[in-house]
Amino acid sequence: MVPVPDRSRTQLLITIGRRLVEGLLTAWAAVSLTFFSLRLAAGDPTYNLLSQGLATAQQAEELRQALGLDAPLWLQYLRFLRDLMQGDLGLSLYTSRPVGTIIAEQFRFTIGLALAGLAFALLVGFTLGIAAAWWEPRLVGRSATFITNLSTSLPVAFTGILVLFLALHLSMLASLPGLNTGLILPAIVLGITSAGPIGRVVQASLKESLESPYILAAHARGLREDARMLWHAFRPALPPVISLTALEAAYLFSGTVVTETVFARPGLGRLLVKSILEGDYPIAQGLVVLAAIFYTFSQLSADLAAIMLDPRTRRSA
Amino acid sequence: MIRIWAGRIAWIWIGCLVLIAITAPLLAPHNPRTPIGEPITAPGKMAVLGTDALGRDLLSRLIFGARYSFTSTLAATLITVGLGLSLSLLATTYGGIADRLLVGLANTGLAIPGLLLAMLLVAAVGPGLPTVILAVGLGGSPGFIRLSRSILNSYIHEGYVDAAKAMGAGHARIAIYHLIPNAFPQLLALSTTHYAWAFLGTTTLTFLGLAGDPALPEWGAMLDAGRTYLVQAPALSLLPGILISLTVLAIHQIGEGFQSS
Repeated sequence: MVPVPDRSRTQLLITIGRRLVEGLLTAWAAVSLTFFSLRLAAGDPTYNLLSQGLATAQQAEELRQALGLDAPLWLQYLRFLRDLMQGDLGLSLYTSRPVGTIIAEQFRFTIGLALAGLAFALLVGFTLGIAAAWWEPRLVGRSATFITNLSTSLPVAFTGILVLFLALHLSMLASLPGLNTGLILPAIVLGITSAGPIGRVVQASLKESLESPYILAAHARGLREDARMLWHAFRPALPPVISLTALEAAYLFSGTVVTETVFARPGLGRLLVKSILEGDYPIAQGLVVLAAIFYTFSQLSADLAAIMLDPRTRRSA
Repeated sequence: MIRIWAGRIAWIWIGCLVLIAITAPLLAPHNPRTPIGEPITAPGKMAVLGTDALGRDLLSRLIFGARYSFTSTLAATLITVGLGLSLSLLATTYGGIADRLLVGLANTGLAIPGLLLAMLLVAAVGPGLPTVILAVGLGGSPGFIRLSRSILNSYIHEGYVDAAKAMGAGHARIAIYHLIPNAFPQLLALSTTHYAWAFLGTTTLTFLGLAGDPALPEWGAMLDAGRTYLVQAPALSLLPGILISLTVLAIHQIGEGFQSS
């Protein structure tokens, strides 16, 4: 008997390969967008140093040569791409230290905050979303929907200040010496904003799943409305939730910018704001480039996870 | 029932704020930029809500803040909608390469979170309120382009568009007489959602000090300026924060109204 060629497997590989190429192209395009928008709009970054009296004309000229800014733009672009491939993000304008090193130093502060924030967002988002879909017409469901909507309307800066304010008052009531904000409060603040969108997608996806024929069939088979039923409805509802979570994970970075400012924490967000205000563009460029690459690959892995989880998505694209 | 009332309250809230923003110089008891007395005073006769860290009247600053916040966010939204809508109209009516190019461009822009894209532009041009407006406007465009294109795309294959084409209607005619009127409710809801986003984005950037001017009576900047005095005068940062949140909530509510109508 001639073995039947496994067509679904090749199809799967083709889908994955196409997504990989797409991801790489998007990352490259985003990196280029960052490079050109900064270079074209910012003009000569050494001008800033000159006008602030931080460098003489000759020093500025030397810096331009050292940074390779005297070369034509296309050559600078090629050099930038080449350096990026080697993990070299250039030098800070002010301290002349490698941008990669500066970012690496601050990375550990932000990754802890981001992971804790994401964990909180998932916990709250899933709870709210499931509650909103499961008890939909009832008060519990309606209040869950309301809280979901509210959390997307609150600016991170305000929730941060509100949480800080409450913590200050509570700690005064308990007459605690000094306020230890630790990781928990910033993580809550960071997570609340992402909990809203996650909750909304969990709700929508689960609701759609609950109204589908296979749930009706499960009812007909006598499955009660309990945890097993929830899981039955929940698994097919997961792929959109996973891809949104990947999106939110990448967006958390812009949230950390504000959270770190409010709680006066060190980290990548603080670094970004500081470098923008100081005009230290290589650092800002490095951070945005890394964010774009991170975003593209988190999207990519989410899509791949969805392909693995849900056979229906394999056929499309 | 609740939804109807929530929508009405939202419209009333926004209407009042717009009125306040327009008549700010008449309503505000003091100049928002000059000190009127001691710094950080409790609410009293001279300053109804007290004074800020530089002795300026908080109420006057909040009133003028409505003006600054509304105009800057509206300008940012106009940039997003104007740019996004014209590009997606061009892409849908011409189709083919133009369409694919625009989708590629929007996807590239979306690879950088909107707020970061905005911050990148501020990094390039330098801090300032006009920069913040432009940055938020451009930062929101990729998302708007992607969604408005998919809305318009669902109408381009309608029978009446084909009929108009058969009668020799040009791209502009199809866009103005067929696509926009039919897609109008959805486009309006989308623009409202983006307005809420622009409100959050603008106030976030000004909160981070990217407007450059710390004396600016704008809600985001005030949220930042007041947070050092959370113990002595919590109203300084809580009030602008509450105003921003309620306004964004109201805009979302109005957007939902458009969506369901």
